Amino acid sequence: MVRAIYSPEYCLQYLEQFASQEIFVTGLILGQITNSRENVIHLARTPEEKSTDNVSEESFTSDKQEPVKNLLGVSEAWVADHAKHVTRMLPGGVFVQGIFITSDEDIFEEPNYFSKVKSILNYMYRILNSNRFMFANCPDSNERLILHMSTNTKVLTCKSVEIGGPNKNTSIKPVEWKFLSKPQQWQRLDCYYEFDDVYPVIVKNSGISVKQQFQQILESAHKTIDSSVMFIDGELKDGSEQLEQIIKKKKSKNNTKTSQDLPKSMHVSLFVPFENALPETVEYLECDGSIHFSGVVSSSVFMYPKATVSEAIAAVKQDIIRSLASRFTMHCDALIDDNLLPEEKVCFNEPPRRVLVPVGSLYLCDYLFPGEAPAEALLSVRELLDLQITETDVICDIETPADTSEFDALDRDASSEELLATPQEASQFMYITGICFALFVLVISILVHYYDGIVDFIGKILTKS
Amino acid sequence: MSPRLKITKYVIERLSQIDTSETTGCLYGLMYDGILLVVGLSLELFENGKNTYNQLLLYLPAEIELCGVVKFSDSLIIENKTKEVLQDVDITDNPLVIIISKNKDMKAYFSVHDKFEETNYEVMESDELWKQFLHVRLNTVLPLTCEATIAGVKNILQNKRKKIASGQVSFHIDGTAVYLFGIASDVGVTGTSTEANIGELIDSLSPEQPSRKKKLNTHTLEIVPVNAVMKTTKDILSDKLVKTAVKMMTTQRKPAFCISMPLKIDTLAMIHRNTKLSELYTVLVEAACRSLRLLESVLLEQLGQEGIGDGAGLRLPETFHYLPQELGHFLTRVVPKDIPDESMEKERMLLHEQLALPLDKPIFRRGNAYTTYGGRLVNPHEALPLPSTSPHITVALVRGRYTYHHYMQDNFNDDGWGCAYRSMQTIFSWFRYQGYNTTNIPTHKEIQQCLVKIGDKPSSFIGSKQWIGSTEVMFCLETLLGVQSRIIFANTGSELQSYTPELIYHFQKHGSPIMIGGGVLAHTIIGVEYNAETNETRYLILDPHYTGADDLTTVIGKGWCSWKNSDFWNKTAHYNLCLPQTRPCI
Repeated sequence: MVRAIYSPEYCLQYLEQFASQEIFVTGLILGQITNSRENVIHLARTPEEKSTDNVSEESFTSDKQEPVKNLLGVSEAWVADHAKHVTRMLPGGVFVQGIFITSDEDIFEEPNYFSKVKSILNYMYRILNSNRFMFANCPDSNERLILHMSTNTKVLTCKSVEIGGPNKNTSIKPVEWKFLSKPQQWQRLDCYYEFDDVYPVIVKNSGISVKQQFQQILESAHKTIDSSVMFIDGELKDGSEQLEQIIKKKKSKNNTKTSQDLPKSMHVSLFVPFENALPETVEYLECDGSIHFSGVVSSSVFMYPKATVSEAIAAVKQDIIRSLASRFTMHCDALIDDNLLPEEKVCFNEPPRRVLVPVGSLYLCDYLFPGEAPAEALLSVRELLDLQITETDVICDIETPADTSEFDALDRDASSEELLATPQEASQFMYITGICFALFVLVISILVHYYDGIVDFIGKILTKS
Repeated sequence: MSPRLKITKYVIERLSQIDTSETTGCLYGLMYDGILLVVGLSLELFENGKNTYNQLLLYLPAEIELCGVVKFSDSLIIENKTKEVLQDVDITDNPLVIIISKNKDMKAYFSVHDKFEETNYEVMESDELWKQFLHVRLNTVLPLTCEATIAGVKNILQNKRKKIASGQVSFHIDGTAVYLFGIASDVGVTGTSTEANIGELIDSLSPEQPSRKKKLNTHTLEIVPVNAVMKTTKDILSDKLVKTAVKMMTTQRKPAFCISMPLKIDTLAMIHRNTKLSELYTVLVEAACRSLRLLESVLLEQLGQEGIGDGAGLRLPETFHYLPQELGHFLTRVVPKDIPDESMEKERMLLHEQLALPLDKPIFRRGNAYTTYGGRLVNPHEALPLPSTSPHITVALVRGRYTYHHYMQDNFNDDGWGCAYRSMQTIFSWFRYQGYNTTNIPTHKEIQQCLVKIGDKPSSFIGSKQWIGSTEVMFCLETLLGVQSRIIFANTGSELQSYTPELIYHFQKHGSPIMIGGGVLAHTIIGVEYNAETNETRYLILDPHYTGADDLTTVIGKGWCSWKNSDFWNKTAHYNLCLPQTRPCI
């Protein structure tokens, strides 16, 4: 059976618009693979390249330069970087599934062009694999889509190739690309995953690397979330059951007349088994610092309603970890100095928070640093997703930024760890400082008072010698 | 209205046997169906002005609470100290007072509006108790990291208890889809009907249990394993939802010593089979909190000791559950890992005194702890009908628990030569489960190595299929366990009968299994019966020559554990008996 992809209709217009202008465009295909169907969510044009030798994180600015006219001129690194940035905006269960190209060449027939396409996909695969906590490469499939619209004939062709494998001469498979006239319905699943962990660390003289701390938090969070049990609306569901069925069952149970309602969001709760693999010893160490990692990761994933419970569970788990990894990467990229210096007694690190942005009939996400306005999200949506939305479209209240007063309160709550500056110590410190200052004043005044005498005395000693 | 009163047979027996100079004891019980069931008691020592029952309560399964006092006096006089105890009774508005007079007459009173009303009581037989009640055992591990100070430990454990009581925890019955939720969730139970009770759930898990088996084993103890999972997501619909995005705070402070350990919660609750699953949640929370308090007390005690003050020598607390046959209820102890039992004698002594238990045998050593006995049969003889009782019949049986060792176990083929080894293993198991030591039961090879080491056998003996006899058993017991044995030689099987008084004395005094070797066969004697009228002796024999599976029905049905008349012994063969001796200790 030929692999079939279902896409919203606006994607056709999107491609046709480039084809009719007869311009060369590449972009990313974003979509979701489930056992029951593959859906495309959005096509996002890769922004025009700024300069080839400066592919850094901050390079997606709107500086206009000579646009690339031809596939062979496309930088693999540039497209891969686009994919990397876009992945941060995707909820769990949604991936960059491939690339689209509008051009006048037949990219499948011309060996030069085709090997360039493969090279772009392979490069992207490698870059996306560099951070395993991003779940950037779809774990279920190594076949990536290539969608081509000829600017000459306006004919749309889709094929898939296998990437990441050892096999160089990968086979090309035909793919049937279908457009849906009605917008796709999505089953939304929501949860707030809460962190509240305090653990001792050794700061010593070297300080603490923020990046390293985040990496450790990610690793432990990944382990914990992976082992957790997921309930949907408070109930443990059979992994093979379709989400749609759960809704239907509930409806027939409640027997409500409002069966026309849109499927409501499902509430997900995660329960973590207590760790059982700890070594059976008492560890004993001298620590001079502690880390308190707290707050929530808001998670909203969107599944094809015929997707199974297991698929939904995997998506939710991916989403929480991916979101955490995205924030940490963005935060560390923006840090001037990764090292928390030993002199700093208390140090806050506030990674950007998540906001939701509407794309088609579902929501993708973006991240706002503390102090950033929702308008910042418009920028990334325009640059990375090639979409125009308004400020009011951005859903900003799924998470709130931390304020430091709250930090203080939280810290007092986490009474297991004591702060360096307990009130007594502080007052003791002031007391000593006070005495020192008084002594200093005394010495000065003595010096001033006996200034003549002392000078005289010193003079005498000097002349004697 | 005051509750109906039931008292377990165990408590009745203990009360009738208590011989104490103390005047007061505490009673422990649980409520079900408007009935107060008394399951345990302790003597109140009123030492150091502290109420010892508060600590003792932590040792008991959850649901068992203080329910009243017992007075050893002829009249109903309640002095102030006792009144204070009665005021601590929370489980019922009508605390119970039992009076035991000098001639062991027993009367029960409920306190109703500060007046004592005499009440009737029913006795609950022990098999009825085990049939109606079961235990849930919660096992979970909490990672614990805190400053190595008394305040640090107190603080973090209080936090853990708060967290468990906050409703964030869900309990999962092992091997089922049943999860129990707390108040933080609007669903109480998932995976089964909310109306289901625990007994029905357990029955549904093992539907094809042959009823015959149940009849055989009257002491079937049901323990339902439960684990815990922690809710890590917030309730979206809650008004108190705080949505602050994740952040990290790093704090520096004075260098301090920290301890980090996996805190193992292993705790029991005793519940009636009709308990609804929806009611089980609070029971488990209480069980977990009891366990945390017990663990805390052991950690604090260690931190208070010299040398461990900074936490460097702190040992992991380990939990053990005991089911002494005298008590008829579980008792849980937590002890620091690797501290030898010998150095904790003082604590055990106190416990023995409090519970009015004999002071000449171990009851609360590690070896006494309740286990699953590696899947072997425990005390198969208890499934036999009791020997007839009449004034002229004396019966003396093995005391405590042993496991049945026989041919072909552990995938090891010793058919035809290993019977004495197996008999010795049964003896070893007895010493181990009586708490005398924690030595593992030796394999055939280890037994052979031991005999070679002490020079009794040449080195070629190791790995051979040579038989051993009573003297070798004696050597091994002495070398590996430090246990002395008495050897009895009988020239013929008929002469054996003249040693009946010695055997009766052995079981009454020591209670250990006896190994008997004669001709080519070795057997284990685990009891004797002497009929003074007919002058006949019968022997309770545990036969190590059995080669089948560890199935109680077969073992009992085919007579591998059964009473034998004296003609069981070969009239012409010599017999050697090894009677392992015990030394009084606790």
